[in-house]
Amino acid sequence: MSKRKIRQYLLDSLTYISTAISVLALSVIFFFVLREGGSLLSIDLLSGNYHAQGFVGTLINESDETFELGDIIGDKLFTVERYGIVLEQTQDLAGDSVIKVYYVDQASPLRNLNNTDPSANEKIIGLREGMVLRRVSYQEHPTSLTSRGAEAMANDLNDDSREIREVIFSLEGGGIRGSVITTLYLIGLTLMFALPFGILTAIYFNEFAPMNKITKLMRNFIETLTGVPSIIYGLLGITVFVPLTVRLTPASNTNLIAGALTLSVILLPVIIRTTEEALKVVPNDHRFASLALGANRTQTTFKVVLKQALPGILTATFLGIGRVIGESAALIFVLGTAVKDQVRIFEPSTSLAVHIWSMMTDEPANIALSSTIALIILLIVLILNILIKATVFIFSKKGSA
Amino acid sequence: MMKEVFKIEGLSLFYKDLQAIKNIDLDIYKNQITALIGPSGCGKSTFIRCLNRMNDLIPEARMEGCIRFDGEECQVTGYDVIGLRKKVGMVFQKPNPFPMSIFDNVAYGPRQQGVRNKEVLKEIVEKALKQAALYEEVVDRLNDSALTLSGGQQQRLCIARALAMEPEVILMDEPTSALDPIATQKIETLLEELKKEYTIIIVTHSMQQAARISDYTAFFYMGELIEYDKTNVIFSVPKNKQTEDYVTGRFG
Repeated sequence: MSKRKIRQYLLDSLTYISTAISVLALSVIFFFVLREGGSLLSIDLLSGNYHAQGFVGTLINESDETFELGDIIGDKLFTVERYGIVLEQTQDLAGDSVIKVYYVDQASPLRNLNNTDPSANEKIIGLREGMVLRRVSYQEHPTSLTSRGAEAMANDLNDDSREIREVIFSLEGGGIRGSVITTLYLIGLTLMFALPFGILTAIYFNEFAPMNKITKLMRNFIETLTGVPSIIYGLLGITVFVPLTVRLTPASNTNLIAGALTLSVILLPVIIRTTEEALKVVPNDHRFASLALGANRTQTTFKVVLKQALPGILTATFLGIGRVIGESAALIFVLGTAVKDQVRIFEPSTSLAVHIWSMMTDEPANIALSSTIALIILLIVLILNILIKATVFIFSKKGSA
Repeated sequence: MMKEVFKIEGLSLFYKDLQAIKNIDLDIYKNQITALIGPSGCGKSTFIRCLNRMNDLIPEARMEGCIRFDGEECQVTGYDVIGLRKKVGMVFQKPNPFPMSIFDNVAYGPRQQGVRNKEVLKEIVEKALKQAALYEEVVDRLNDSALTLSGGQQQRLCIARALAMEPEVILMDEPTSALDPIATQKIETLLEELKKEYTIIIVTHSMQQAARISDYTAFFYMGELIEYDKTNVIFSVPKNKQTEDYVTGRFG
């Protein structure tokens, strides 16, 4: 075999191997996320509260009968005949071990409890199916804790010598609804700020600006900004946008608006660059044709050029959304790390990516939930991708090239 | 005596230091087809781009001399360039319809002038397409993309698009060089028709085309106007040796 042939084979096999490694690396990420987080993925997780509303109740009357709960069978189900409830050893939405109430008999004394919180509107509270039993404390006996498991809790409750002092229970928590909503708000607000500015700037540079040293310098500057790490923009956000929003809006701390403004600044160079690229590929012939028809520069730009650049601008939008969803470093500064259920634009909250950060800095780190959120982020990006492709396809069918 | 549409005196054009057009004097007559011939790079295209001031778009280009359009000096700063381009339409070498529907392409010019009335636009489009001899072929698919048309149809659409502005003059920069002989023939026939209403200036590389369709022919060489006369004079008894060599195919 000739030397040249060997070199060709070598180069060919190098391309094959590189492709295989790249594809493998990307699929490993996807499968890791799917395997770790797939089991927790549910609508309840997406729509559920993160913070569980807690209750502390005291018995109105002590149990005086025994309930028949015979036919409830399950590996992780434990019956409490004395109070007519069934407990389940399970996980909450976030994957933490909890004791859930599986069944409450209609006549169970735990159905109606005195609320120990004097300021609450509801004076009578009660244990219901699906709630999480956190602790039960007794007179003259040690408290039953979640950490000791459902079986121990059930045994303690069945113990006739114990007298319940307080029942501490809560709704189920761990949902990520707040972070999902925050992320959607961020996407909307950021694009609202960044898209018009970015597109119009790109139009200025590509269509209107004279080709001189100053514009060249400005373009190079913008290009450089594309590569600046986002945490530096975070610094800008915390020194400029947070104080600015605190002064001008009802905000008193880090907040969603400051987050969106910071992200807009991050997006600007990306949008300007991508839009400029899209404008550049519009053939000059079309500009000349329009101008030769007596249209002025503005008409030519907005009626002919921009229309054709639309698929490129959509790509810019998509890249922007991807950037917003994926951003965490800058947002930790300007948006905060406290997971919120009720999202307000003038208050701190967390985006999905920062939610991952919060989960991973917890003790112990919640890898399962983090992977689930990662999976959700991947799915959102995937759906967006398909949407953009579809839009571009429709546009191209409708008469564009 | 025929009326001059354009009266050009001492026109020169520079790209930075390079002089592309050298001191040209030329009159363009109304309702005539004037052909500009000459080898590539001789300044024909640059010359017609002076007439609707498309050279303004090239920052390095600098124009000297005087062009009178309908008696008015149109090369001066402050002259209504947009107005000039409305009256002096242009068809380019490569068919360049906008990626819009056939209707929208023709309606583009009038729309930019503020014509909004649908009935009026429909009339303008219909008239322009008929003048460009394209109407019969596209009447059923006015809302289809212009890019679905063949090359020759696209070029006639570009002519219709220019006609929709009801210009006085149509500049054509090698309008058939990208087309096959049949499409070329259609456009040549069309030009014969159009000349009744419009003044046409056409740049062409095809000697036969110039001889077939034009009334006047100007021969350009190296940025200079070598000879300008009635077409039958240029092609039968040219005064200049260079012209004779060129039109007989001995060089160029």
